[in-house]
Formats: sequence, structure tokens, C-alpha cells
Amino acid sequence: MSLDKTNEEKIIRTICNSHCGGVCEMKVHVSGGRIVRIESGGEGETSHRMCARGRAYRQRVYAPDRLLYPLKRVGARGVGEFNRVSWDEALETVARELKRVKDTYGNAAILHFCSLADAHVVHHTQAFHRLLCQFGGYTAPWGFISYEGLAFAVGTTYGTPPAAYTHEISQRAEVYPKARLIIMWGWNPVDTYQGTRTPFSLARAKEGGTRFIYVDPRYTDSAAAFANQWIPIRPGTDVAALTAMSYVIVKENLHDQHYIDTYTTGFDMFRDYVFGLEDGIEKTPEWAADITGIPAATLTALAREYAVTKPAILEGGYAAGRTAFGEQFHRAIVALEAITGNARISSGGRAGSRALRRILQIPSPPNPVEMNAPPRWNALPYRSASVNSSARVNVNLLVDAILKGKAGGYPADYKFLWLSNTNYLNQLSEVNKGIEAFQKLEFILVTEQFMSSTAKFADIVLPVCTFLERTDFRTPKAIEPLGESRSQLQICEALAPKLGITDYSDKSDKEWVEFMMTKLSEEVSKAATAPKKEAADLTSEITPTPSGKIEIYSQTIAEMKHPLIPPVPKYIETWESLNDPLAKKYPLQLITPHFKRRAHSQFDNLPWLRDLQKQALTINAVDAQSRGIHDGDMIRIFNDRGEVIIPAEVTERIMPGVVALPQGGWYNPDENGIDRGGCANVLTKNVTSPAGAFPSHTALVQVEKAEE
Amino acid sequence: MQYGFYIDQTRCTGCFTCVVACRDWHDVPAGPASWIRIKTIEKGKYPDLFVAFLPITCYHCLQPNCIPVCPTGAIIKRDEDGIVTIDRELCLGAGCQLCLDACPYDAPQFGPEEDAKMQKCDLCVDRWAEDKKPVCVDGCPMWALDAGPLDELRAKYSDAKFAEGFVYSEDIAPSVTFKPKQDVKGLVTQKILITPPAL
Repeated sequence: MSLDKTNEEKIIRTICNSHCGGVCEMKVHVSGGRIVRIESGGEGETSHRMCARGRAYRQRVYAPDRLLYPLKRVGARGVGEFNRVSWDEALETVARELKRVKDTYGNAAILHFCSLADAHVVHHTQAFHRLLCQFGGYTAPWGFISYEGLAFAVGTTYGTPPAAYTHEISQRAEVYPKARLIIMWGWNPVDTYQGTRTPFSLARAKEGGTRFIYVDPRYTDSAAAFANQWIPIRPGTDVAALTAMSYVIVKENLHDQHYIDTYTTGFDMFRDYVFGLEDGIEKTPEWAADITGIPAATLTALAREYAVTKPAILEGGYAAGRTAFGEQFHRAIVALEAITGNARISSGGRAGSRALRRILQIPSPPNPVEMNAPPRWNALPYRSASVNSSARVNVNLLVDAILKGKAGGYPADYKFLWLSNTNYLNQLSEVNKGIEAFQKLEFILVTEQFMSSTAKFADIVLPVCTFLERTDFRTPKAIEPLGESRSQLQICEALAPKLGITDYSDKSDKEWVEFMMTKLSEEVSKAATAPKKEAADLTSEITPTPSGKIEIYSQTIAEMKHPLIPPVPKYIETWESLNDPLAKKYPLQLITPHFKRRAHSQFDNLPWLRDLQKQALTINAVDAQSRGIHDGDMIRIFNDRGEVIIPAEVTERIMPGVVALPQGGWYNPDENGIDRGGCANVLTKNVTSPAGAFPSHTALVQVEKAEE
Repeated sequence: MQYGFYIDQTRCTGCFTCVVACRDWHDVPAGPASWIRIKTIEKGKYPDLFVAFLPITCYHCLQPNCIPVCPTGAIIKRDEDGIVTIDRELCLGAGCQLCLDACPYDAPQFGPEEDAKMQKCDLCVDRWAEDKKPVCVDGCPMWALDAGPLDELRAKYSDAKFAEGFVYSEDIAPSVTFKPKQDVKGLVTQKILITPPAL
């Protein structure tokens, strides 16, 4: 593709797509082959205007620390000493190691994970997947880091993928303003966006008279923008509050018996649990008050208001699902929705770009590593055999799998790790354990734009271009790749022949897009002719559970026979709760929320964004005072897993007993191994919830003033 | 004709899109100079809280304090639209800063360099010439901002001269009108943050 390099300014329209959940319209001004400005693409209030991060994209493209050449490690892993090498040398090295590991240990010893950082459709997981499947297979991860708790709950209760349940970006403008009550539960879209249309649609709802109740340990900027009422809640106790709400609603006969009888199964068993017939404990608001920190009267009022206000939306954010028993949170939400007749599901209207990502994929042969493996014990019916395969490893446990291998019950011993579009070490739990695992590997390949905490451990780093330097679905190339950086597909194309693969790709990026467009047209015309179904005419077609109904008692879960995944949603006390003996030593609950100026760890290095928010630990004035901490003081945050030293931000906007360290700060250890970058995952625990969720908001810590 | 801003404070979420859009459009590096900032006003004690955000910039006053104090006449108010602009060639630079001392809204900006010339919001005069609104207005994901002839903005939206965190100066008459966010409980201010920080 030849691009105009004259000085005449051209405008390329594209879509910013940076792992925030948004798809915002972008106008890129290009002159002389360089991006000179970026404008918001949208006109009119139906458009998706970019946030601050998208507006800073020029600084990302031209960042002085962009990786522009292949690098080979020369220092110890983690130190960050590399030499520039040619693409040929880098790819030869990678190919040689891949072949050696394959020959010595078998294909399952190759672990690969591609996340969503700056990924799109052509240049995404499937590009790598096709290559590695053609190479004889590899070990792929399963599970969503962001919302596996939700995926499990929806997959078992409704029998559908989460996209069938969550409001797609394109639907929100329509859905929210219709509600008379919106309960935002652990959901902070002003910071996380999930598309800038989300907060905008909420503002429209508020202006139309919708009442907002905000349930969260923090008085976030979303609370500031929308909340008529803030109900602070202790992290990890959400299910107790939701169960008490169900108690009030059923006790006071505010549930929708007709809806329950028509569309759900298992209500009786759920009621037995709620009324204590099962365990002798009535799940009253008084019972929940002690657990959650929410006064019983507040919970009672909340339950009544939710039950009698129609239409009401209970929007459970992914955050509360990223706790020790995160799936129970989403299960409890869907149960509460179902018993009040607020269940939401529809087979139509899901044409958002995120759903398209699943339709639009580079095709691939099956993964030979998975072919003879039986399904996992926790396979979900809506998932493909490949994703349900027991040959896969939970995405949160890659480092555990590397450390323990077959001896620890994993399907293989892992020797080669290829990470792409992810700062895995930084963004998954327990960094120090991750480092131990990375040190054990025989080879690490990282494809990256920047020298991330993860890339520092790589043996070879391959420089990837940004999405503005490649062509993908609805995102035409604006400029040529900087330096020697290449797109994901180009990297795979160049590696393929060195692995003896001759039929990797016969298409250019543009041709792949056209190929997918054809597939998409077929899907769209199929969808257009299918009758649209709403909650009012639920059928087994849109709740493909074993019973064909919304399963408050889930047969799929019952068959899993896991003692910590009950078939009806239940409150289970988390590990590292305030009742844990460990709380004597580490008395504060740590949560690790998203940060407005980053998309996970992306964008952290851009000066235009960096001075907008300070990476700091948010701590309530009461907890700060008892520790002699003042706003801005340097503090130590620590537990048995590690230590971080950063400034404190003393505020009234967080519940006492809870501290918040925004996830995504770049891990930056000093000579004593103490992190100075504010990386929250130094402190989180590398386990999953029983169903596989990433419990990033379940960790105890202590905080002290740092002596320096 | 007097151009100015409309700010819907009830919509502003403090997302900083206007700040970064302005930096990109006008090529302003991160540092002490920023043509638009966000003021965050935090009031009350846990759990009874109120938080408001307010974009702060040059309000292109009807009687700007900065103009009479400038020793070289570098600051002018345009006849056609009342936009206040700076001729950087004439500015004496960071050593002077009389304009900044005179402005109650800290609108004049100086970069980190010793001889930095004054810079500030010019309401995107270049964009009006192309029939476009200022880049902050065009970029706001909450549609919380507008700009144009002040009379029209007041007629279309609101003629409120107050907002949380803003004091209207009758003497200089800033060209801004608000839909204010109001703290009905009258909570005590705990913290005020200016972002990006001025220095």
C-alpha cells in the first residue's frame, strides 16, 4: 500500500480500539507521512467521541521509548539489557527455539497468550493461533481476565455467552434513559468507559429523571457524576447484600411470581437458601449488615425500591466479579433480576464491534494439542470444544502452570512462552511469583510496542506497530510502520516459512479484511432475517440451558459437583476477608481499580496523560490518621507477596478499612525488590475463583509511612 | 459580538479529554502551560459527599484585566468576536507575567523555558475560520461544552453566571455561562485539585 507522503494534509477516518471496551471514531490528520493531529471523528450525539487516551495517541505513536527494532536479550532476565538484531536473526532464533521445544517436549510445552492491547480483528489472537496450529499446536489459555465470573454466571444461568446478556455499547443510549432506576454496583464507567457512549447515555438518563444508586467501596467519579445515593460496601461481600435484597423482596411478596413460574427454574431452592431452610441462617438485612457494612434499613429500602420501580436496571460491573467467589456475584445479580422480572435478554441488536470480533476471525485448522483432550470439568455449554478443552490453562494461572507443570496437575510442562498484546507479568496477579516462573522458562518471546515489565524478561522482543500503522477491519492504515516495527500478521507471515509452514497466508491485510467482510455480510443478512425476540417471549432458543429456562438453580453447575460452586447463588466468605486471621497482620482490604488515564497498563508512559492523575494509594482519612499518614506522604503497602512504595492520596472518597491502588502502574523494582512503580499486582494473590475468575479485588495489605 | 463558552457542569465527569485534545491540537507539551484545566471540588465527609468538576480556561472577558497591564500591548481583544489573543512576538516573556498577576482565572500560561512567551486559550480562532468549534467543544464525549456568540449560548442553554468552584467577576465580565452543579446540602469543601497541576 503506497501512502501519500506529500505535505498536503490528509484525514484518515478510523476507530480507536485500545482495550477499554470502546470503539471511538477518530480522524487522523497526516502530512508528509506523519500524524500531525488527531480529531474526534464523530459528529452528532450518536457518535462515539474519543476519551483523553485516544486524543493522546499521537504521543503513543511517536513516543521516544517505542520499540522500533527486534531485540535480543544480553543481560539477565528482567534487567532490560538488549541488543538490536536484524529481523532475520530474531526470527531465526525464535524458529530454532520453537522447533527445539517442539522436538524435545512436544507442542503442548509451547504456551501462547494474546490479549487485547491494541489488537483488532486481522491482527489478533487468530493470526497467532493459525500459525501455531499449523506448527502442530500449542497450549492456549481459557477464561476472560476481565469478566470470567460474569461469563460463568451467564453461561450457566442463561446458557449463553456474556454478550447476549450485557448491554452492547450500541444499545446503551437506548436502554439507560428508559430506566426509572439504575443501580450501579461496582461499576465505574466514567473511568473505564466501555465506550464513551456509556457515561453519556447515563447522563441522558439522569437528565430524564432516572434515579441512580451507587454501590461501591469508593465514591468514584461515576458516583460523583450520577449518584443520588452512595452505598459504600466492603469488598467481597456483595453477594451477602444481594441475597438480603432477595430475602426482603420474597418475604414482602414483591417478587414477580408469574415471571418466575414462566421463565425460570429453581426459585424454590434459592428461596430455601435465602430463608435459611438449608443452613439455618436467615439471610436478613441484619445478617448482611454485619458482613457488608451496609445498615439493614438501607438494604431493605434498596430491595424495595428495586422491586417496585419499573423499569429498573441493576448493572453489576465486572469488578465485583473479580473477587474470590466472583461468579457468585453475577449469579446473585441474575437471580435478583429474574425474581423481580427484570431479567434482560434479547436475541437482537447485538451488532457492536466487540461481538463482531468473534465473527470476524482468520480461519485456522484445529489445535492438535486439544484434539484428544476431554472437556474440562467446568466446561460451559455455549463454548466451543476448543475453549472447553482440558488441554487449556486458565489465563490467570499461566505462571502457576509454568512453575508446577504436570507434577502440579497441569496438562503439560511448559518451556516456551509467547506473549503478545499483553503486559502479562504486570497485569496478572502476584508479580514476584510471575518473575519466578519467567526465570524458569527456556524461552520467552514477547511482541510489544514498548519495553514493558513483561518484555524485560523476554529472550527476543519483536517490535509491533500501532493500529494506525496497519490495516484492519474498519481501521485503514494512516501511516507506514515506524522504524522496523511490523504488524502481528506480518510477523506471523515472516515466521511461518522458518517453521516450515508454506500456506500460512495468501492474502494481504486488505484482502483478509475483504474476506471477513464477505463473512460478515452473510452473518448480517442471517441476523436480519431472524425474528427479534425480547424478554417477553423467552424461549429455549435464547436461554439454551438444560431446562430451556433461566436457571436460578443451575443444572450445569450441579453436574460440576464442585463444593464451592453451589447450584443456587450463595454468599461464601472470601479468603483474605476481614475475618481471616491474616487480617491481624494485614488489616486493610486492597482493591485495584481501573485508572482513567490508562487502558490497563497501556498509555502510562505518555506525558500528555501522565500529569492528569497521580499513581497513588487511595486511603480514607481515618486510616491515614491512625497511621500518621498525610496526603502525598510516601507509604509502604505490603503483604507476604510483596511491597510497593508510592505516595498516599488521603481522601473521604473511600470506605475506611479499604485502600485502592489503580492497576496498570508499571512494575519498577528498586535494588531491594520493592516496587516503586505502583504495580498493584505485586500484592494480589495468584489464584482464581472456583469457576476461574481473576480475583484482583481480594487481597489484604498493611500500609505504613515509608521511612525515607 | 462577543464569543464565549457554555459549560454544563452537571455533565462534566472530569475525563480530561478537553485537556488532551487541546494539547494535541495546539501542540502544547506536557508541562506548566495548559490552555485548559479541570478543577475538582470535593466536599463533605465520608459517607456524605459531593464532587464537582469544572473546566477552567481563558473566558475572553468583556473587560479583560490582562490587556491594560501588558507593557507592550501584546494582548488584544478582537473586534469581530471579542476573542482575546496574544502576539507572542511582542510578549516580554516569563520575566514579566503581569498579565498572569492580573487575571483572576490564571488564564495566561507560561512554559518551563526561562524566556517563555505567554500562551493561552484563543478559543481556537483557527478552527472558527474553518467553520469548526473549538477542539475542546468538538471533542467532549459528554457534550458538556459549547462555544459561540455568548448571547446565543445564554439564550439557548442558560444564563447562569455561577458554578461550583467558579466566582464570576462583574468588573471584567468573563464570557462564560453555565449549567451549574449544585451542592444542595451545603457541605464543607475538603479538597480542591487543579489538573494538570499549574506547577
